[in-house]
Amino acid sequence: MPRLPRSEWYDLTRDMNWDLTYVTEDEAFPPQLSNSFGVPAESWWTWDEPYKITYSEYVHNQAGKDAGLFSVNNVVSRSKIFDNLDPGWKAAIIAHYGAIAVAEYQAGIGEARMARFGRAAAWRNMAMFGTLDETRHGQLQTYFPYQALNKEPRLDWAHKAYHTNEWGIIAARHLFDDMFTANDAVSMAIQLTYTFETGFTNLQFLGMAADAMKVGDIDFGALISSIQTDEARHAQQGEPTIKVLMKEGKVDIAQNLLDRMFWRAWKLFSLLTGLSMDYYTPLEHRTHSFKEFMTEFITKQFIDQFRDFGLEKPWYWDQLLNEMEWLHHAYHLGVYYWRPTAWWSPVAGAGPAEREWLEEKYPGWNASFGKYWDVMGENIRAGHPELTLPETFPMVCNACQIPVCTPAGYAAGYLDSPLPRILDFEGRRYTFCSEPCQWVFEQSPDQFKGHLSIIDRFLGGVIQPPTIEGALAYMGLSPEEMGQDGTNYAWAFEGHPAPAAERKVG
Amino acid sequence: MTVTDPTTGGRAERPARAARAARPKPKTWSLLGEVTRRPSVYEATAAKFLYHYRREPAPFEMSPNAPINEWYLTNREGSPFTVADWEGFRDPAKLTYSDYVMVQHDRETYLDGLIDHHEATGSVQTLDPQWVEALTRVLVPWRFPLHVLQMTSLYVAQMAPSAFIVNCANFQAGDEMRRIQRLAYVTRLLANAHGEQIAATATARDPWQNEAAWQPLREACERMLGVYDWGEAFTALNLAVKPAVDAVVNDQLTALAIAHDDEFLALLLAEFDRDAARSRAWTAALVQYAIGQDPAMADVLRSWLAVHALRADAAVAGLAELFAGAPQPMAAAQVIEAAGQARARLLAACDL
Repeated sequence: MPRLPRSEWYDLTRDMNWDLTYVTEDEAFPPQLSNSFGVPAESWWTWDEPYKITYSEYVHNQAGKDAGLFSVNNVVSRSKIFDNLDPGWKAAIIAHYGAIAVAEYQAGIGEARMARFGRAAAWRNMAMFGTLDETRHGQLQTYFPYQALNKEPRLDWAHKAYHTNEWGIIAARHLFDDMFTANDAVSMAIQLTYTFETGFTNLQFLGMAADAMKVGDIDFGALISSIQTDEARHAQQGEPTIKVLMKEGKVDIAQNLLDRMFWRAWKLFSLLTGLSMDYYTPLEHRTHSFKEFMTEFITKQFIDQFRDFGLEKPWYWDQLLNEMEWLHHAYHLGVYYWRPTAWWSPVAGAGPAEREWLEEKYPGWNASFGKYWDVMGENIRAGHPELTLPETFPMVCNACQIPVCTPAGYAAGYLDSPLPRILDFEGRRYTFCSEPCQWVFEQSPDQFKGHLSIIDRFLGGVIQPPTIEGALAYMGLSPEEMGQDGTNYAWAFEGHPAPAAERKVG
Repeated sequence: MTVTDPTTGGRAERPARAARAARPKPKTWSLLGEVTRRPSVYEATAAKFLYHYRREPAPFEMSPNAPINEWYLTNREGSPFTVADWEGFRDPAKLTYSDYVMVQHDRETYLDGLIDHHEATGSVQTLDPQWVEALTRVLVPWRFPLHVLQMTSLYVAQMAPSAFIVNCANFQAGDEMRRIQRLAYVTRLLANAHGEQIAATATARDPWQNEAAWQPLREACERMLGVYDWGEAFTALNLAVKPAVDAVVNDQLTALAIAHDDEFLALLLAEFDRDAARSRAWTAALVQYAIGQDPAMADVLRSWLAVHALRADAAVAGLAELFAGAPQPMAAAQVIEAAGQARARLLAACDL
């Protein structure tokens, strides 16, 4: 290997900052794509990445990682491992692939924005590795399900999802477009790499990787842990960006960017990860509840990092802690009830043993959320599963694009009112599920105000015919793809001995 | 309004399982349609990845008038460089990410070996001081313009209308970083052997910022940074500025190094032409594809090229003076002629 250590020559790969003279600063770094927030060019040049890597080290490392991963996949794809996975776990990974695979590829576009419009050469270099990393993640997370398409046709959603208007995908697209594809480079460093990747991706990827190994899904576990090693590196673009803003006295800007995206990320994660951890992962393999994970990784470790940088907890902290008690239970009820609108088959996760666990982790669960499952179980046992299916649609939040669950939060005793929040703005009425969602909207109305939620489209005549069937077709769900009860209602009969004829219904 | 379970008609039986058993197993992604041949991994991990291209009412799931929606509607969907279907374009090298890092892992292993050999022989220490002096002027500043090539490639990547194009531009940006970093390493070797000042930022930035020979290139680069139509950015970079830079760095500087018995630098620079050849190949394939889809695209590209080629020519003419001032001088006209021929070959390969 070459003799000079990286430290002796690395600075020569990152000092390419100069004064533009043939074009103006704004011509080369348009504010829409790179908001300097008033920080002078030369202050940005002090941007210093905490993690150094060279191109050579990168390709050597990554080639080794990919070789290892493809070996695992090659062996696993010839085995029966996938066929034997628990239906709840299958729901979790099919949901994951649909919501995440192609989105990660788009994160490469966001990284490329920082690699072009980041305001220091060192930053642009880090983002270039980020671009390559996200290309990797998009390709791996489509390649793995592609290999298993013949075993599970719903894995088609790993590729198709972002081309559809399925409601969860609209929510994911709305979040991720706001976070990276339609964001400027400076905001993105704080919102994508710091808030989302340093904070939430840890939760999703480390948590799921550990769960995958316990469940026996070696393929998914190896994939996700390998991806996380890249994320841990390129996520570090946020820290130096925050430091530059802080040094220039822009603490309010950094805090605002963080607060906006932290709330948005929370909403989607409670939908995706909350359900996976507390309902889809087989009980015997659960080590933490979603709330415990949130508490440990987000509200303790991540908050310590904020404070190290001189940032504070977001202003809505109490509301976050409140929602951590109940929101994902409400989402799970909603996803299960509206299961024909999901591309995966949710499991109820509400058998007697699961309920005991839920009660232990969320005291009061049986008396609040459990009672809905009581009714659904009774209807199923009585041979009327159709009563566990929807007749209309819920209202959707104009910020997070997820159904408004305030009635469930109110009924469970966590909210003072079941009503959503209403905002009349420039002649249009908007609905929000929470005060922070309304606040997110009000922080950048130009980004959001003309957008139509799926319910706005339904009521406004965009979706034709305006029926549930019409809406399902609009969402891109064919009858075979629509979610069904992942265990074929077995959960409802657990602990309820019933005549053979009746059990056949399930 | 009442509804029945669309998958069961309200009966909690297991029709879906039966339907699944009867359905033929999918060969590929449903969005790729009926195929007779199973698409390759290269295709399956890029085809139709850009959900936002030509999406209605706007590319991104934001307000249709959100600033970046308008940016893409203007500079991507609204570009004159447009065809009915970009999804048919293929990179001649058909590289996935994994292929790319494997290929470059091998090539970097080669360069590691090349450096090992020359560090062992001490070849940098024995270079003629006059040649070292020339290198500080003709080699050391390159990391600045090469970084602009990296930046612009990543602009093309974020704006391109198909992932097959995005990937090519991403890998090209990686190649630029590769070249910059190896030149940075050489700069440090030169400094260790011949004087610390060689590695100072000012030694590279001052000529880049002020010396007459570098100014036309800086102008071409900075003006390229101000180009936002994705087709024009592709043209400026891959048909004008980069081919000129590659001809000067990978080809003419190699010749200059040979003339000064600097085998190490010659072999190093020549290696980068493998990357440049890959760039030329996808560039030609993309231009040919576009013209094949719509012959009018040739004139669209030519009109942009007319502007950026002039700037690239001026850049080469400026740099050629540095070659003429080397201890073993190369005529400026020779450098200019070589760069002109390189572009002519590329344009011929593009059918332009």
